[in-house]
Amino acid sequence: MADRQSPTPAEITIMAAGAVMLVFSFLNFAGDTSAWGSHLFPIATLLPLYGLVMGLQIALTKFAGVKLPESVLGFTWEQVHLALGLMAGLMALGWLLTDYGDKQIGMWFEILGGIALVVGAVMLQRERNTGAIG
Amino acid sequence: MDKLKLSTANLVILIAGVVMLISSFLAFNKFSTPSATIGSIHIGGTVSRNAWSSGYFLIATIPALIGIVMAAHVAVVAFASGVKLPDTVLGLTWNQIHLVLAFQATIMMVAFLIQSTSPLDKGIGLFGMLIAAIGLLVGAILRSREAPAVG
Repeated sequence: MADRQSPTPAEITIMAAGAVMLVFSFLNFAGDTSAWGSHLFPIATLLPLYGLVMGLQIALTKFAGVKLPESVLGFTWEQVHLALGLMAGLMALGWLLTDYGDKQIGMWFEILGGIALVVGAVMLQRERNTGAIG
Repeated sequence: MDKLKLSTANLVILIAGVVMLISSFLAFNKFSTPSATIGSIHIGGTVSRNAWSSGYFLIATIPALIGIVMAAHVAVVAFASGVKLPDTVLGLTWNQIHLVLAFQATIMMVAFLIQSTSPLDKGIGLFGMLIAAIGLLVGAILRSREAPAVG
C-alpha cells in the first residue's frame, strides 16, 4: 500500500478525474440540460457517480485515514477500481458514439473523465502490484 | 461442465441473455397519437425506437451487449469443449466478471426506467431488457455461490 501522505500518480489521476467529473456534471451535458437535469438523470449521472465513488475511496483512505474493509463482496479495492473504471470507460464510449443531439462541454468532460478513470485504475494495478496487468 | 447439463445459474444467464437480445430490438420508447384515416390518407399512430436506433445506440445498447457477452461465455464453456479460456482476465475470475457485467447492465436499465422520457412512453423493449438485466444479476449471484467450476 502506498504512503498515506503522498498520493501516487494513479491515485491523483482517479481523484482528479472524479472531481472534474463531479464539477462538470453540473454544466450542460446535452442541449441546455446538465447530467442531473430532466431527461438525462440518472442515466447520464452514472458516469460522475462512478468517478465520485472511486475518487472518494482514494481520498478517504489516503487523507482522512478512514479504515475501510479489506474487500467488498469478494472484490479487493483494486478490483473495485478496475471494475468501476472499465464500466465508466464503457459508458464514456457509449456517450461518445451516441447521437444525442448537441454534445456540450459537460458531456465531453464526462467522456474524458471516464477515460481517465480507466487509465487511473489500470495504473493503480501496476502501482500496487496486483498482478492484474502485466 | 457436462455438455447436456447446464447449472441453474448458467441456464438463467443464458436465457436472460437471449431475452435481453430479443428485447433490444423491441420498442425502447414510443410515441403514440390518435390515428385517423381520411380518404386514402392515414395520420397519427405509433412511432417507436429500439435500443439500436439512432439516439439510443450505443448508450442504450450497452446492456444488450453485456447480455450477449455473458450468455456467449456460458455457452462457449458449456458447449464448446475445445475452446480453452483463461482462468482470470485482468485479475478477475469469470464469476467476478459476470457479477460486474450484470451489475452494470442492471444499474443502467434501472436508470433508464427512472429517466423521464416525456412525452415518449416507455416501450416493452425497455421493460424486457430490465427484466433480463435482473435475470443476469440473479444468474451471476447464483453462479458465484456455486462450487468453483472451470471457466
